[in-house]
Amino acid sequence: MTNAVILKNVTKAFGETIAVRSFNLSIPEGALYGLIGPNGAGKTTLIRMILSILFPDQGELNVLGHSSALEAKERIGYLPEERGLYKKMRVGDFLVYMARLKGMDPPDLKSQVSHWLQRMGLPGTERKRCEELSKGMQQKIQFITAVIHRPDLLILDEPFGGLDPVNQRVMRELILEEHRRGVTILFSTHVMAHAEQLCDHIVMLHLGDKVLDQALSEIRQTNDPRHILFEPLDPSANMDQLRSIPGVREITSNGVGWEITLASDSSASSVIPLVVRAVVPAQIQIRRPSLEDVFISIVAGTEVQSEENAKLRASLRDGGEILEARR
Amino acid sequence: MKKILYVAIREFLATVMTKGFVLGVLLTPTLIALMVFLIPRLITEGPPKIEGQVAIVDQTGIVAGNLAVSLTAQRFAERRAEIQSRVQWMAGNGIGSGNARRASTRAPDLRKPEEMPQISTVVLPAGSDVEQEKIPLKRPLLNKNGDPSIRLALVIIHQDAIKPEEQNAELPSYDLFVRGQLDDRLVEDIHSGIQEAIGAARLQEAGLDANNVVKLLMVKRAETRALTAEGEQKNSMMWNSILPVAFMILLLISILTCGQSLLTTVVEEKSNRVVEVLLSAVSPMELMTGKILGQMAVGFLILALYTGLGIVALASFAMLGLLKPALLLFLFISYLLAYFMIAAIMAAIGSAVSELRDAQSLMMPVMLCLMLPWFLMMPISRDPNSMLSVVLSFIPPISNFVMLLRMASNTPPALWQVGLSILMSAAGVYVALRFAAKVFRVGLLMFGKPPTFGTLIRWARMS
Repeated sequence: MTNAVILKNVTKAFGETIAVRSFNLSIPEGALYGLIGPNGAGKTTLIRMILSILFPDQGELNVLGHSSALEAKERIGYLPEERGLYKKMRVGDFLVYMARLKGMDPPDLKSQVSHWLQRMGLPGTERKRCEELSKGMQQKIQFITAVIHRPDLLILDEPFGGLDPVNQRVMRELILEEHRRGVTILFSTHVMAHAEQLCDHIVMLHLGDKVLDQALSEIRQTNDPRHILFEPLDPSANMDQLRSIPGVREITSNGVGWEITLASDSSASSVIPLVVRAVVPAQIQIRRPSLEDVFISIVAGTEVQSEENAKLRASLRDGGEILEARR
Repeated sequence: MKKILYVAIREFLATVMTKGFVLGVLLTPTLIALMVFLIPRLITEGPPKIEGQVAIVDQTGIVAGNLAVSLTAQRFAERRAEIQSRVQWMAGNGIGSGNARRASTRAPDLRKPEEMPQISTVVLPAGSDVEQEKIPLKRPLLNKNGDPSIRLALVIIHQDAIKPEEQNAELPSYDLFVRGQLDDRLVEDIHSGIQEAIGAARLQEAGLDANNVVKLLMVKRAETRALTAEGEQKNSMMWNSILPVAFMILLLISILTCGQSLLTTVVEEKSNRVVEVLLSAVSPMELMTGKILGQMAVGFLILALYTGLGIVALASFAMLGLLKPALLLFLFISYLLAYFMIAAIMAAIGSAVSELRDAQSLMMPVMLCLMLPWFLMMPISRDPNSMLSVVLSFIPPISNFVMLLRMASNTPPALWQVGLSILMSAAGVYVALRFAAKVFRVGLLMFGKPPTFGTLIRWARMS
């Protein structure tokens, strides 16, 4: 299969700080890749290099068969993390302007713009000024600018940021629709759950280094489940007896039931029969490791249970601060 | 190329279609045009056709007769015509006549006595009580054009007015009392009339014929004709000094307006974060080029508006002969050279800062550069071929302003100097654009602490 994006030993530094270090990546055509990592991991720098907005200090890039994205800008759609629109410009004029910059100039461009606005649930906004729209609406406008020219490569940097759950679902559907059309999608986020829902391949970054590059299905297979969710039939059952079962490292209440964490040298298949024998379950299930767990296990190690680890988890869920301390 | 054009068109429209631009740039020439065409038609040059009396207390007994003659409408008209001819000489005889100017306005013909104030004189006894005679001046004027019987002024001719005492030589020879709110031009006219009458009386007293003396002293001033390689030209002192300055101001206004506008739009795009969306569609070089070209068109619009207005104004005053096509062509070339250099620097500064206020410190040297020709305007205008003028003609971007000033002067520089100045400016433009392109590429995505000029140079080296 032909690769839409190839990066070979790409390095970029800003002064003393290395944003991306010896990065290698190949994204096949038509794939939906998730680029994940906490804030400050180097995702945006990597994307800007792919788009030739920034240029690497070392290494080689190939984007849609060209050594620079400058030669293929009309085939790339980009939704940047920082939302930017001309505040005073009318929505219709802005979309026409951006479409023209992307190489589109058909006679029916204005009707195409109207069609897209209709599709995004923004009919009648053409004559409105961009500043009159809500943040979510502005984001939808930006998404239109990224896809109106029907690109072959779509790069989305935190596309769900600032959207309510309903609009997140609309956005997810639109991304999947583009994927079904055969577009190669690189989707960057620090919220691992978003990547887990959308992508078929995950690339993880941490402090400028690639720490994982694997299909989502493989990730799930290769990472042993280390947690068992347990709900006793009798809510007043003595759960302390589970602590003494060999292979159980920790038991914590999650409100509804209990979460049993396994020791590193044990497996779910050996522990579950012993648990069932000790306390009669109403429900027992293996909890598969989330991308968050995988990321934490890779970058922090399972044995680390510090406050730092909790901060890292928070940043992977809802955008905590950059983990400067880890640098 | 198409993308550059789209960026340029947006930049042009985004600047020109704002209320600020329309008010600031379009409204100003419109108001000036209205002033040039309407105001002369609405107002009259002459004083109001006032009627009234001037009372004279002549303590010499000789001056009153002369004064009655000096205050006639005929003498008023003659004195006004004399002043007008002096002003016309200052403006240049060959560039329009009183007739041409009057044709464009409804101003009265100053040579016609019937357009002048109609003053009658009343000679009061030499021993009159001055305080009593002042009382009629305090009565209100019922008709604004006066009344033949109402007193407008009281003149007291001093006893020693004809032969001033040694110790009084520096003191006035008369007192003049006028009613409040009397037209100042009429007051001036009365003063002139009194001075003329006293002067004539003094000549008479000295045994000289006043008319003869006036005739003998009157030497008609000749037109000045400048001799140049192109031939003989009529000289106009006033317009010769105004025109170069007008050209330089025009250049400065257009470059400052669009340079400032370019800086503002770059900073706005950066702070709005729209720049990253744009950079996903165009290269930094295409973006910068498009923006510079768009603002160049804005500058052209300003230049065309003001130049057009100037041409219309000169034409309406029959002074179009002052403008040479070569000068207009050089104005156009100077604009291009100065604009590209200033715009490149402005674009670089705009890309480097995150907020407009951060740009102020970086703008300071640029503004000083632009203001320098303004400060040096007088020495350059006085001697357009001095060492200072010649040296400054080769230092871009000042060179464009200085050379324009020199070109519009009476003694334009040698052709080789013009060529070398253009060449130096073109080299300056090349260096500035290269520098700007490098800084623009790096600076656009840099946020945080405002950079110094040193940082900009480091960025230029880095990229």
